[in-house]
Amino acid sequence: MIVTSIAIIGVFLLLFAAFIVKDIVAAKRSVHKTVHYSVRESIGAYLMLFPALALICLFVLLPIVYSLGYAFTDYYLLSPNDVGFIGFDNFADIIENIRKHGTVYNAIINTLKFVVFVVPLQIGMALGLAMLVNKKARGMGVFKVMYFAPVVISLTVTSYLWVRILGGGDSGLLNSFLVKLGSEPISFLYDPQGAMYWIIFVSAWQGCGYQMLIFLSGLKGIDSTLYEAAELDGAGKGRQFLAVTVPGLRSVLTFVIITVFIGACKVMVQPMLMTGEQTFTITLNYLMYIEGYTYRWVGYSSAIALLMTIAIGAITFLQRYLLKEED
Amino acid sequence: MKKWIAGILSALLAVLMAFSFIGCGGGNEAEEELDEEGNTIIDMMVHVAQQSAEGMAYSRITDSFNSSDTAKENKIKIRVDYSPRSTSATGYETELGNMLNNGTLPDIITFDAPNTWNYAENSILADITGLIAEETQSDFFEISKNTYNGKLYGLPIQESSAGIYYNKAIFRSAGLLGEVEKMTVDDAWTMTEFENICNRLKGKCDLPVDLQLYNANDEMATYLLYPFILAGGGTFLSSDGMTATGFFDSAATVAAFDRLRGWVNNGYTSFDASNVGFYTGKIAMYLSSGWSIPEIRNQYTQQLGEDWGILPYPKGDKGIAASATGSWSFGMTTQCSTPEKAAIVLEWLVSTDSSVAITDATGMIPARRSAVEKKGYTPGSPEYVLYDQLNKTGKTRPGTIAYPEFSSRFRAVVNQIREGTQTTASIVSGQASQFQTYLDRYGR
Repeated sequence: MIVTSIAIIGVFLLLFAAFIVKDIVAAKRSVHKTVHYSVRESIGAYLMLFPALALICLFVLLPIVYSLGYAFTDYYLLSPNDVGFIGFDNFADIIENIRKHGTVYNAIINTLKFVVFVVPLQIGMALGLAMLVNKKARGMGVFKVMYFAPVVISLTVTSYLWVRILGGGDSGLLNSFLVKLGSEPISFLYDPQGAMYWIIFVSAWQGCGYQMLIFLSGLKGIDSTLYEAAELDGAGKGRQFLAVTVPGLRSVLTFVIITVFIGACKVMVQPMLMTGEQTFTITLNYLMYIEGYTYRWVGYSSAIALLMTIAIGAITFLQRYLLKEED
Repeated sequence: MKKWIAGILSALLAVLMAFSFIGCGGGNEAEEELDEEGNTIIDMMVHVAQQSAEGMAYSRITDSFNSSDTAKENKIKIRVDYSPRSTSATGYETELGNMLNNGTLPDIITFDAPNTWNYAENSILADITGLIAEETQSDFFEISKNTYNGKLYGLPIQESSAGIYYNKAIFRSAGLLGEVEKMTVDDAWTMTEFENICNRLKGKCDLPVDLQLYNANDEMATYLLYPFILAGGGTFLSSDGMTATGFFDSAATVAAFDRLRGWVNNGYTSFDASNVGFYTGKIAMYLSSGWSIPEIRNQYTQQLGEDWGILPYPKGDKGIAASATGSWSFGMTTQCSTPEKAAIVLEWLVSTDSSVAITDATGMIPARRSAVEKKGYTPGSPEYVLYDQLNKTGKTRPGTIAYPEFSSRFRAVVNQIREGTQTTASIVSGQASQFQTYLDRYGR
C-alpha cells in the first residue's frame, strides 16, 4: 500500500511538474512581451506552493484516488488482503436499495431536504446579521462576538447542547418548561415530521456566524456613495438592498452559496449525535460512515461517496455557470 | 502542454488507481518483543479506561501476573493498552480493524462476544482450542465460550445476564409484592402476567417499567430486548447465520415485536423514560444487566436502600423462556508472534481468581463454575437470580458474521416502532430485506 501511495503521489507530482514546464514554455513563446518573465521567479513561486501541494496530495488527492478505486471492489475493512474487483455491483446494490425505498433512499431524501432548507436559511440569517452588525452603533462588537461564538464551539458540543435543550420526556430543558406549563412533553428529536427541521435550525444557527463575517467584509467594500445616490433617486431600503447591496455582494454571495451548499451536502455530525441512525434524519455522509465503519463495507461506502462527489460536483459547476452568466 | 502528455499522465494515474487496492497491507505477523531483562512482552488491548472499576481490576490482575512466579519462569511481561470504547463500541472496533490492516494488532484483545464469528472469519482472532488446557475449557459454562465452527476463539472475562429490577416499596403500596417476591427462574411469570402487573402499576408511579428503549441507538437495546422476541417464539436467522428472510420477518417475530409495541402504546413503558427513574424511586421496574447492582449499592442506597430485587425475564405464553447473555471476552489475535506465551497469559487472565476479582468490580457473573462456587451466591439474592437465569434460560444473541448489521436492523425495528408511521409487519419485513442484502454480500 505504501509503494502504491508513493507511486500515486509521484504521478501527481509529475503532473504538477508538467504544468510548471507548460507554464514556462508558454510564457517564453508568448508574442506579447507585456509581462517580464523570469524562470527563476516562476520556479521559486512553485517551490513555495510545494508544501501545500504535498499536503493536498497526501490528505485530499490520495484518499480520493483510493476511494475511487475501492468503489469498484468488495473491500471489507477486516479483510484487506482479500479485495476483489466486482465491477458495478456496489452501484447496482445502491440502485436496488433506492428502488426498495431502503436506507440509501432515506439518506438521499433527508440530505436533499437538509440542503434545500439550510442553504437559504443559513445564508439569509448570515446576511441579516451582517447587515445588522454593519450599522454604526455602540456595542456592535459585542453582538459580532455573540453571533460568531457558535462557530468556535465544536459541532459535537453544540449538538449535545441542543440535545439537552430538545431532549425527550421531561428531562429536556424545553420540555421541562412545557411540563411546568401543564403541557405534555414533546418528542422534538424523534418526531419523523419535525426532527429534521430542528437539525436544520441548529445547523443554520451554528454555521451562520462564519458567513456573517464574510458578508460583513463584503458590505464594508460597497461604496457608501452608491446608497446616497440611490436615496437621491428615491429608492427605498428594499430597493437599495436589491439594487446596491445584492450586486455589490455578488462575488461574495457566489462563494458563500457554493461553500454552504457543499457543507450542507456533507452534514453528518448533527444527525449522528442528535438522533442517531433514524430513517427520518440519516444523511448520505452519515450513511457512508455507517456502511464503511460500523458495517465495515468500505467498497460499498466508497461507491456512495463517488456518487455523492459526482452529484455535488455537477451541482456546484451548474451553480457557478448560472451565477457567472448573470455577471 | 500537448494534450497527449496530459492524457498519458492521466492514464498512468488511472492504472495506479486500479492497482491501489491490490497492494493493501495487513496481516503482518509481529516479531517477538523483548524487554531489557529478556522477558517477552505480551501486548494486550482492553476496551475500558484504566480509571474505571473494571480497568482497575485489569491493572491488579496484570500487575499480579507480572510479579508472579509464572511470569518469571516463562520470562513474560504483560503490557496493557487501555482503549476505552465509545458508547456504541464502534471506535474500539474500528481501531481493531485499522490495526489489522497495519499489522499492529496486539497479542491479546478484549472483544464483545457477538463479534466472535466475524472476528474469527476475518482472521482477527486465532484458534486457541489447542492452546488452552482442557480442564480450563471445561470449567467454563458452555453458553459462554466463544466458539465458531467448533473451534475456540476466546474465553469470557465474565458473563452477563439481565433481569427486571423492581422497587419493593412501589409494589408493596400497589398490593403486588406478594405476587412477585418469591418468584424464581423456575416459576417465572408469563408475558401476560407481566402485562397484568404493568397494568395494575399504572398510576401508582411515573411509569410501570423502563425497558431502556431510549437506548435504541445502542447495542444495549439489542442485548436487552432480543429475549422478548425469542420468548414470543420469534427467530432471527437460519442456523448457518446467512438467511434472514423467512426468519427475521416470520409471523412469530412480527407478533413479538408487535407485543413490545403494545407495551408502549398501553403506557407500560416509554421511549422517553427517565434513565434514572428507577434509581430515584419513580419507576417501578427497570430492565437492566448485572452492572446495575453495584450502581444501586454504591450510589442509590439513600433512594432504594435494600428494598429492591430482581425478577427473571417473563416467559412467552407458550412457555418459551429466554434471557440475555454475552459479555466481553479475551482472545488471542492472529498477529501474535508467541502464541504459547500468550496462552499462558490468557489462562491467568481468565483464572478463577481473576474472574472473581473482575466480577467483584463489575457486579457481573463469573463465566466459570469454580469462580461462581468461590463467590457463593446466596439463593434469592439479586446475583443468584441472574446466575440461575443464565444457566437455565440464557440464550446467546444470533451467531452470524454479519452481527453489526443484525444489531443495527434489530434496533431499526425498535426505532421505527417509535416513529409509529408503519405497521410492525411492514417495518420488520423492510428490515429483514435490507439485512438479507448484507448477508448476500458476505456470501458473494
